[in-house]
Amino acid sequence: MITIEHLSKSYGTKQVLHDVSLALSTGRVHGIVGENGAGKTTLFKCIAGLEGYDGDIQSSLSPLKNYLGFLQTDPFFFTKITGREYIQLLRNARNLPQTDIAAKNIFDLPLDQYAATYSTGMKKKLALTAVLLQENQVFILDEPFNGVDIHSNILITEIIKQLKALGKTIIISSHIFSTLSDTCDEISLLQQNQIRRTVPQSGFAALEEEMRAFTVGDALEKLDLR
Amino acid sequence: MRQYFLLQFRLLNRHIRDFGLHPMAGWLMGAVLFVGLSFFIFHKTEYAVYAYLLAAFSLLAKLSEKGRNEFLRGCFPDRQYYKIRLLENVFVALPFLIFLLAKWHVMEAIGLGFAATALAFFKMGMGGSFTLPTPFGKRPFEFLMGFRKTYYLHLFAYFIAIMALCVLNFNLGIFALLLVFLICMTYYSDMESGYYVWIHAQQPQAFLRNKIKAAIVYASILSLPLAAVLSFVFYEYVHIILAVILLGYIYLTTVVLAKYAAYPQGMGLPQSLLLAFSLALPPMLLVTIPYFYKKSVKHLEFVLE
Repeated sequence: MITIEHLSKSYGTKQVLHDVSLALSTGRVHGIVGENGAGKTTLFKCIAGLEGYDGDIQSSLSPLKNYLGFLQTDPFFFTKITGREYIQLLRNARNLPQTDIAAKNIFDLPLDQYAATYSTGMKKKLALTAVLLQENQVFILDEPFNGVDIHSNILITEIIKQLKALGKTIIISSHIFSTLSDTCDEISLLQQNQIRRTVPQSGFAALEEEMRAFTVGDALEKLDLR
Repeated sequence: MRQYFLLQFRLLNRHIRDFGLHPMAGWLMGAVLFVGLSFFIFHKTEYAVYAYLLAAFSLLAKLSEKGRNEFLRGCFPDRQYYKIRLLENVFVALPFLIFLLAKWHVMEAIGLGFAATALAFFKMGMGGSFTLPTPFGKRPFEFLMGFRKTYYLHLFAYFIAIMALCVLNFNLGIFALLLVFLICMTYYSDMESGYYVWIHAQQPQAFLRNKIKAAIVYASILSLPLAAVLSFVFYEYVHIILAVILLGYIYLTTVVLAKYAAYPQGMGLPQSLLLAFSLALPPMLLVTIPYFYKKSVKHLEFVLE
């Protein structure tokens, strides 16, 4: 269980998150939706402890970061490290013993090639594989479906379901609503730096329709397509 | 093309400002340091010309990196691209060339000039899917990536060592051994992003201990074969070889600690000067190693605890 209470974050005078409160239960998948710049990634970084903040984050796991796998939107890779070595690096960081990485290469990645030469989707899959092989209890997956092919999308959805079945806590952000509605138990709407509301599965359809109406608005009229 | 060089100049000035200096002061200091260091090494050792050429080639090789050149080639028409590359190499090689000529190393200066011109037409770096194997896969980080970027410098150090054995010149052999440690120390010059520190489930003390342990073990893999051969041939100087290895380990430890003492911003001018003075005057390390250690622990606590 992770409890976030009255979390606020500013960069200089620019407030990015304001009075965010959330309860993330164990064994549940929690989705976060919001426009670009709404503060999703900042919220994730605060939960991970990569950013300082005002407010309080409590967890039954202490320190939370040692049990947390964080898949970043745009994972950074060093220029001369192979896929296999990257996974090894992340496992070493958690003091895990050697394992047969090739046997767990479910996305068929070219593990002995430099990760920097991978395509966008392959990089995402490599970062996800590494985070999964860290044997974490909590996962923050920031845009896990972004840039990934349709087959891998299906596989990632199944992985999330499996993680949930194993009692892990999962927090996901995605710009593709269907990927969230397929996997999440509840979805929180982050708008103008605040959590506007959190809805259960029964409210997903209404939330999607509301977001569609809000986003599209009169944009098409303004564009005046001919 | 003019715009390109103006942009490069502006970028360099930004680096100098980030380092904590006014650009004018930075350029002046750089020039004074270059001339001062050149006189210093040529005064100190008869093998200075090797180190000098190595430094010049390393800079030229950096400019010839594959990714960088592919980007430039994509931006500029062929003719302009080659002009840019040629001019860049001339700018970098010129200070070295002038000093070599001033010291009457005419052949070396001609060689450097030729290399600077030729390298403008080559891209360096592993193409395709070739991955350079290394013995550092168990703890894949600084040494693994550093070795892949600088393997040719290690080949050069070993070449110098072979020369030292052929002409039975102990000092040249020691120079090669020191060079190996010096190359290893450069692996700690870049600060990794916060994420790669954050992933560690370790206290700052254990994190630093593991970093230092990996540095010493992996530097041993690169240096001990050379040291063993030197010890076999120059057995009467074994104590000096051992002292140099020990000094190399201490220097590496200092560099690791200095790096994380400046975490996460990276080393500024005060830390760099303190590190440089400590390496130049080893007794100072008795003070600076504990100082860097304490600062490292303090800075890592925020991310690791």
